[in-house]
Amino acid sequence: MADQHHSKSDSHGGHDAAPKLTDSIRLSGADLSLSKTAFAVGVVGIGGAIALGGGLFGKQFQHSYLTAFMWALSITLGALFWVTLQHLVNARWSIVVRRLGEFLAQGVVLLALLAIPLLIPVLQHNDTLFRWLNHDTIHGISSKTAYLNPSFFLGRMVFYFAYFALMATFWLKKSREQEKGGGEELTRSLQGKAAPAMIVFALSVTFCAIDFLMTLDPMWFSTIFGVYYFSTCVLTFHSVLALFAMWLQKKGHLTSAITTEHYHDIGKMMFAFTAFWTYIGFSQFMLIWYANIPEETAWFRDRLEGNWLSATLVLAAAHFVIPFFGMMSREIKRNKTTLGFWAVWILVICWFDMYWLVAPNLHKGGMAIGLVDILAWVGVAGLLLGFVLSKAKDTNLIPTGDPRLGRSLTFQNI
Amino acid sequence: MSDSEKPLATETPLYGLIAEYDNPTALVHAARKVRDAGFRRWDTYTPFPIHGIEKDMGIRMTRLPWLVLGFALTGMAVATYFQYWTNSVDYRWIISGKPFWSWPANVPIIFEMTILFSAFAAIGGMLFLNNLPLPAHPLDLKERFRRVTDDKFFLVIEASDPKFDERDTRGLLAATNPVVLDDVLEDRVTSDRIPAPLIYTLVILGAVSLIPFAFIAKARAAKTTEGRVHVVWDMDFTPAYKAQEGNPLFGDQRSMRTPPEGTVALGQLHDDEHLYTGKVGDEWASSFPESLALSEATMERGKQQFGIYCTPCHGQLGDGNGIVHQRASKLKQGWVPPSDLHQTYIKEQPAGQIFGAITNGVRNMPAYGPQISAEDRWAIVLYLRALQKSQSASVNDLTDAERAQLQ
Repeated sequence: MADQHHSKSDSHGGHDAAPKLTDSIRLSGADLSLSKTAFAVGVVGIGGAIALGGGLFGKQFQHSYLTAFMWALSITLGALFWVTLQHLVNARWSIVVRRLGEFLAQGVVLLALLAIPLLIPVLQHNDTLFRWLNHDTIHGISSKTAYLNPSFFLGRMVFYFAYFALMATFWLKKSREQEKGGGEELTRSLQGKAAPAMIVFALSVTFCAIDFLMTLDPMWFSTIFGVYYFSTCVLTFHSVLALFAMWLQKKGHLTSAITTEHYHDIGKMMFAFTAFWTYIGFSQFMLIWYANIPEETAWFRDRLEGNWLSATLVLAAAHFVIPFFGMMSREIKRNKTTLGFWAVWILVICWFDMYWLVAPNLHKGGMAIGLVDILAWVGVAGLLLGFVLSKAKDTNLIPTGDPRLGRSLTFQNI
Repeated sequence: MSDSEKPLATETPLYGLIAEYDNPTALVHAARKVRDAGFRRWDTYTPFPIHGIEKDMGIRMTRLPWLVLGFALTGMAVATYFQYWTNSVDYRWIISGKPFWSWPANVPIIFEMTILFSAFAAIGGMLFLNNLPLPAHPLDLKERFRRVTDDKFFLVIEASDPKFDERDTRGLLAATNPVVLDDVLEDRVTSDRIPAPLIYTLVILGAVSLIPFAFIAKARAAKTTEGRVHVVWDMDFTPAYKAQEGNPLFGDQRSMRTPPEGTVALGQLHDDEHLYTGKVGDEWASSFPESLALSEATMERGKQQFGIYCTPCHGQLGDGNGIVHQRASKLKQGWVPPSDLHQTYIKEQPAGQIFGAITNGVRNMPAYGPQISAEDRWAIVLYLRALQKSQSASVNDLTDAERAQLQ
């Protein structure tokens, strides 16, 4: 998409002059009151989930909470990936919405704190969630202790979240520095920094997904698993980005800066990664199905027996077939109402995907979505929303200092 | 030839009118006027793409995506049906005990065919909808028009447009302030036929491409006494000797060598006749060899090896109803069913004879001696004994305590 920019010479009509940005670019106090409401909802949601899910370290709560946590984490990691990518490829179309991605990436700082309830049991060798902590229950696990041991596990977690938080802080800080001047030179230097940042990020996301989700079934392994979670990151992030932009415009901000063309591009990413998720998910399934090796197939067997089979079929239909054909048309991506509908759809189905990854660990016999799952989800989502909005306080909603802003404002799809 | 020289002007009909502009803005303004005047057969020509000009020209969205979607779904259906038909109708074959139509394995092909058909539809449809290829065009004869690849912008209205009126249209274009406004005459000079060498080449290539099909048709219809055609010679005839092949390197002409007199290969000293052949003297041994520990561990090992090697045909229970048997009997190709291992004559066989059957094979059951170690074969016999017992146990086999529990 980066190559679909307007070059100066191919503009016509009134597009040649750099457009003046006259939109509102700051959140008002009234907008920020949503932040407090969201925090309150978050606290009530999590509190309710703890109360009904057998306490903070209860089996039900821990699983429901991990599902919600990984869903929320995917949004922030998707944002982090996307912001880094825009710098890396010198993208122009996205400048008007880049700051929104930078705000969403801030959420990783909150999620580092929210990870603590999941990590304390590891410290205590409590196998409520991670069964590999108990060597007696799993045959053959001792051969994996070099990787799966509490101190190395916690060490990795500290690294991931320190790195993610550092990246999120760095990109927002530099983006704000652009506004103080620095222009071209600063922008170029960020492109150079994005490359190594992206490599470390790719490895961190892969292992983070392996540690949080794949080790729930410690004898199972899939080399493509990190990419599977990454596809969710990109999907949930772009959906939230579209909804975030729509909300801001409804509140009277960035009304002329973000156009149908930008929504169209965000929609393209949502559509493309719907197919990407399927490609990765099916590749993982087909190779394991074909090879038919017991320690690999067991994981899918858990998800294909009882009413889990229906859940898997629903996932295939609602995560691929329906949105794929639903979002295929150009007009659907260029219409805010339909795009908003699919953004919400993707956010819901991606939560269900996380549930599908986590819950068979708890409900082997059959799927059972309960109130605790919903409360934990609403709670984590509320906290994330409140946190991200509070980060947007006293900051421009658009990187006014970016030298490519003009190109982004006049961006048109072919 | 310059534009002022028009040798055939009196006879050559008018193709259309051409207006030349210095910059894209002027062209876009002109395009809007022509669009609003309701013309259909006209076009603009520019050195680079102008985004948004399709709106100024009133060009509707192309129907190409629908064509691509249609072909994509066709590709998907063709690939699905073809694989279904070959795998489960025309040439049914058991692979790894999977159902005849194992759709997950077909998905990559379905995916590729969907993409292939879409790509053909996109390229072919684009050419078709744009009336391409176009070997000649009247504008090619315009000297000034060559600068369309450099720095000039053109608008051409064709005379075949129903709204076209030589005087009015000229007036409309003149009002847009073009740098030059000129006639375009029909091309009577260049042939609009496809060049002859190209046609000859295509015909020859087409004919050559039929040769392989001709060979295939001949091979299917005719009989021959000659052997098959070897296309890749060194894959069909490797330098390695086959086991039973003659070998001129050795005096006895044999490829398979016997060990030198008085030697035994490492781990091949099979001096325990009972353990390695299942026989004592000339009779099948009725007991297990002494070196085999009749323990829980051996029983577990036997269960595992039985599960790996025997259950595909004989089934988990040893009753001859394994998954291979179930699938193979559906094929109705004179399949000899595997034995039910609980038949009286098998139960009465001495342990050594069962060991011998595993080692050397029975009827269409292959010999497992080369695959399973002697110890493991004995472990299987041990497990089979337990299995046989389990399927015909009577109340008398229970202990008093267990009997009391049942009552």
